[in-house]
Amino acid sequence: METSPIVISCQRAWKLFGANPVQYLKQMPEGHGYEDIRADGYIAGVKDVSLNVSKGEMLVIMGLSGSGKSTLVRCFSRLHDITGGTIEVDGQDIMALSERDLIELRRSKMGMVFQSFGLLPHRTVLENVAFPLEMRGQDRHMRRERALEMIRLVGLEGRENYFPRELSGGQQQRVGIARSLAIEPDIWFLDEPFSALDPLIRREMQDEFLRLQELLGKTIVFITHDFDEALRLADRIAIMKDGAIEQCDTPDRIVLNPQTKYVKKFTEDIDKARVVHAGALADPEKTSEASGDPVQSDSTILKLSRQLVHDERAMIPVANSDGAIIGAMDRQKALEVLLGAE
Amino acid sequence: MKTKMILSAAALALASATSTSAMEDSSDPIVIPIHNWSSQIVMSHVVGQILESLGNNVEFVTTDSQAVYESVRLGDVALELEVWEGAFGASFREALSKGGLHDAGDHNAVTREDWWYPMWTKDACPGLPSWEALNDCAHLFATAETGDEGLFLDGPVDWLKHGKERAEALGLNYVVKNAGSAAALWAHIGAAEADKTPVLVFNWTPNFAEAVWPGEFVEFPAWEDGCDTDPSKGPNPNALHDCGNPATGYLKKAAWDGMPEKWPHAYEMLTKISFTNAQIAEMAKLVDIDEMEPEEAAEVWLEENQDVWKTWLPEGSS
Amino acid sequence: MAYVTLNSHYSKTALTRMGMPRWLLIAAVAICATQSFLPNFMIRLPESWIPPSAQILDYFFNEIVINTLHFNELTRWFAEGPLDFMLGFTANLLEGKHRWPFLDDPLPWSAIAAVATVLGYYLGGWRMALLGGGTFVWTALMGQWKITMQTLSVLAVAAPLGFLIGLVAGIVAWKWKWFDNAIKPVLAVMQTLPFYTYLLPAVIFFKVGPTAGAIATTIYATPPMILMTTVGLKKVSPEIVEAGKMSGCTRWQMLTRVFIPSARSEILVGVNQVIMLCLAMVVLTAFIGMPGLGGKLLAMMNSFKLGRSLEIGITIVLIAIMLDQMSKAWVVKLPAHFEKGTPWHIRNKYLLFAIGAFILFLVSAQFIDILNEVGRRQSLSIGREIDGAIKGFLNIDIVKSITGFLRYVLNVWILVPFRDFLLWIPVSAFLLLVVAFAWSVGGRRPAAYAAVFFTLVAFSGWWDRSIITLYSVLAAVFISMLVGIPLGIYASRSEKWAKRTLLVCDTAQTFPSFIYLLPAIMLFGITDTTVVLSIVIFTTVPLARYTIEGLRNVPSELTEAADMSGATRWQKLVKVQLPVALPTMAVGFNQAIMFAFFMVIIAAFIGTQDLGQELQRTLAGTDLGKNFVLGINVSLMALTFDLAIISWANKRKEALGL
Repeated sequence: METSPIVISCQRAWKLFGANPVQYLKQMPEGHGYEDIRADGYIAGVKDVSLNVSKGEMLVIMGLSGSGKSTLVRCFSRLHDITGGTIEVDGQDIMALSERDLIELRRSKMGMVFQSFGLLPHRTVLENVAFPLEMRGQDRHMRRERALEMIRLVGLEGRENYFPRELSGGQQQRVGIARSLAIEPDIWFLDEPFSALDPLIRREMQDEFLRLQELLGKTIVFITHDFDEALRLADRIAIMKDGAIEQCDTPDRIVLNPQTKYVKKFTEDIDKARVVHAGALADPEKTSEASGDPVQSDSTILKLSRQLVHDERAMIPVANSDGAIIGAMDRQKALEVLLGAE
Repeated sequence: MKTKMILSAAALALASATSTSAMEDSSDPIVIPIHNWSSQIVMSHVVGQILESLGNNVEFVTTDSQAVYESVRLGDVALELEVWEGAFGASFREALSKGGLHDAGDHNAVTREDWWYPMWTKDACPGLPSWEALNDCAHLFATAETGDEGLFLDGPVDWLKHGKERAEALGLNYVVKNAGSAAALWAHIGAAEADKTPVLVFNWTPNFAEAVWPGEFVEFPAWEDGCDTDPSKGPNPNALHDCGNPATGYLKKAAWDGMPEKWPHAYEMLTKISFTNAQIAEMAKLVDIDEMEPEEAAEVWLEENQDVWKTWLPEGSS
Repeated sequence: MAYVTLNSHYSKTALTRMGMPRWLLIAAVAICATQSFLPNFMIRLPESWIPPSAQILDYFFNEIVINTLHFNELTRWFAEGPLDFMLGFTANLLEGKHRWPFLDDPLPWSAIAAVATVLGYYLGGWRMALLGGGTFVWTALMGQWKITMQTLSVLAVAAPLGFLIGLVAGIVAWKWKWFDNAIKPVLAVMQTLPFYTYLLPAVIFFKVGPTAGAIATTIYATPPMILMTTVGLKKVSPEIVEAGKMSGCTRWQMLTRVFIPSARSEILVGVNQVIMLCLAMVVLTAFIGMPGLGGKLLAMMNSFKLGRSLEIGITIVLIAIMLDQMSKAWVVKLPAHFEKGTPWHIRNKYLLFAIGAFILFLVSAQFIDILNEVGRRQSLSIGREIDGAIKGFLNIDIVKSITGFLRYVLNVWILVPFRDFLLWIPVSAFLLLVVAFAWSVGGRRPAAYAAVFFTLVAFSGWWDRSIITLYSVLAAVFISMLVGIPLGIYASRSEKWAKRTLLVCDTAQTFPSFIYLLPAIMLFGITDTTVVLSIVIFTTVPLARYTIEGLRNVPSELTEAADMSGATRWQKLVKVQLPVALPTMAVGFNQAIMFAFFMVIIAAFIGTQDLGQELQRTLAGTDLGKNFVLGINVSLMALTFDLAIISWANKRKEALGL
């Protein structure tokens, strides 16, 4: 991941809501907390956030409602103008873009999926999916072809002429997804796409989503308030509270090393064995202490549970997908993860 | 249909006549205002149909009978066929002073507006039509609201009929109320009709009501010039309005100042037009009693009265 | 210390919130009681204090607007150019007026009726088809085709014009807050201004005739369109907006492809309102040249033909109900998909069917005369018979004794004393009373408005007439509460009755009010009773309607909870349903007052001594200034109530969490 180019670079970004936010931010004393700002009559939607998203990475931003996660993603696409700091997309400072350039950026590079779908009620499925193409002036035939392709991709063929209200929630969100992909965006924003769906459908849609991502390999910023969903999908998770990022790390490391009390509360009830991979426990410095058959670094501890119980080695070598040994895993530690002990 | 043929024959004759004439009527429509009483509507259609037969374009527009003078003045409508001295004299004179319209001659008709009662009232109060009988009969005209005094229902305030002043000046024991509209007057009479309840209302002639409810005007002290401005006139030396209204008011036509130039032939005819009381009553009857549509009534009238209207046609067309 | 501050805080709120109206009330009573000792100016403002507002306005209109700015030339150009062209076009098609495109014959009635039938079927099935076709068949058979088309030819221009202006103004108001803020009070005044005030300027600026009629209609019908457009655009969900932005919409694309289509429902409700208000003006605009049904109705009334007036009234009601129902069905009708591969002629079968029917009748009418035109002699009008029936009914002894009794009791014992009482109150005391009312109902802001507005009324120089106007309004609203609320409560008990009552309400509302007036006069004479009762017919409608709506929208958990608590019907009604429904009912009450102010002006037709009578008088001359001052007085009084009651209803709704 480290080697991939950075697509979104967000440095010390602020988003304040209130009467005169720019002025306020300039004269605000250093170290002013969320409550202090609130006492001054402002709400910190995004508070001093620095964050990079690499190409092909799936970053999940997790937080409870009001934590600022939706605001942050809207700053990335400049649906909100930030109050301070910089946000660059492909090296381009998006706050410096003219209205026309911004429209161009959205027309060519960005796609977004919304929690309540945001479908245009007066347009059919086909017309909704083709909408972004229509906006950028593509000819009728081309956009029809492309839209049909997208509809097929999300598994809605045969429903092209339905209107949104004639579809179930899950189907509507598929339309939303197809629409966001129609222009072949490089960056894909998903704002709680599955939160409005029933638990069963949600699960199904997550699988579908993973399948799509495998196929497309987009750079993704995914918003959710569901920690399980975050763990399931993310390359990296950024946990937000009161507009600020509490911790941003891989799922394994968040589960293993929660850095704040707040993050810890989320991880407490999690079955860590499902989340933690052998790779996360592999210590490269101790490679020499282990011998014998390696385990795969992308296997979860849960998957290895039988082996962990029966294996008698203290240290087990871990190999990556190429077969190269990347380190050794302490069996005792792995068992602790499995048993849920701290 | 027959009328139409006659009319088009007249039009042909005229067309040949006017082709030689230097001044042609404009092809813009001549806008004729129509109001909400039958004789005026039929008369407007009669005139309109004659003008159409002369080759003019004619349009009708429904307007308020008071506000119309402002429209004539501005040239929005070309003419007005019924200017009643009593009812519209004030509006007409005001517009006249502002300029833009002028008097286009009188009809051979007199108008009268005054206190009036339907015939059945006379049975209860035989002293009528003399006004001096009114006080003795006051109790007959009393209603729940007026107590011992009689009720006289005057025309709408904007007709400026000074009923109250007259009742005071002549010492009449009557409450004077203003109806809000002509229709309100008819409803008042209509309500009294079944029981033959005596009623005293403001009314005028020529008017459809004469045919529906035969009646008479109250005879007040005869009108003297200045009765409304000089207290010494009339029986009460200290009061204005102590006479009846003029029993022979004029009925005029009015025209927009631009009309003679724009439609010289039509204007010439307008100045010649003259209806009599009987003709006006006849036109009203066709609609009010015979239930014809105004256009139809106009056709019928034209057919039956060719000798009358043919004399109005402009020079060289008859 | 803490105790003391707490205490003073309490007493302060008590003084300002609860106490102030009471103090004002006491002061008002004190002024009334001692009025014989008070200086004259506290009782009635002396003439010399009255500013010459009418003359100033006249000067403004004549010297500035007309002679200096030549504004009238611009409006005249519009009226005689584009507007006249459009009106001429529709008039040529519908009634054969001699204008472009100079078709010799107007469209045959049967072709229009056929299209209306197909359209009705498309929108709402057989019932709507029957309504659409039936209305036009009725019109033709009654021999009213031509005048109806004259009316519709103007409405066909006025309504789209109102729609367009309303849409654009609504968009501008939504986009720019300052415009919204500026236009709101203007709209409020426009909606309360009596129609007589529109008429004279319409004639002067837009030429007597269909042009002035169209403009007056448009002005009257536009405000709700503006409001509904703004409401609809504001309601578009932020996610749809963001979806549009993320799809790379430009501003224009956002407006035309995202906002306006998403606000469809509200915008169509606005369209419905425009149509209904246009129809409400059909009769009133006849005073300034609107051709057709209105003019005919007035002519019929003036020759005392009740039956034929009634037939015209029915036509107007039918057209109103038809357009209302069709436009409402259009709001509800959402697009449904066709399966893939459905051929064009199936997808557009209604269109094809309508065109087919149109052509069929267009051609048949060339051969079969009756399909083209129903002559007066062929028509089925039974005006005379109706006349007889009405007169007969009014002459029944029981009817007469009941109305006679009512007339006596209402007039002599209630209305006239009430009017004299209001007139007896000194101006200063009246101001205090109004402010006290507004304060206790709506709070400080409405109270401040009330003070300003009624002071203006006092200084207009038309105080007594204003009070008489107000008296008719109050008396009528009070009586309609006694009728409308119990009616609403009763009707809301079952779905069926609620529906029926609402239908009756709709019909009563669209029936041209002028027609009520003549029978009312015949029943009650030219008295205050007639005036008040003819207002009551109108004001009862919103009271009943909103009572039904309020009661039927009480959440079912609440009534179920009441049932489970063992409440009797009466307890449930009084303790649960009415309190929850009250804010909605207040809206109805408010509308009743607004309707009353509208009707009281029309009642001048009967004969009153109020502002309406004076207004009617200004029509004769060219007193624009006086006309406007009188109109504004009505508007100011209406707005005082509007602001207070709406503020109360909103607070109350908030408190109930609705």
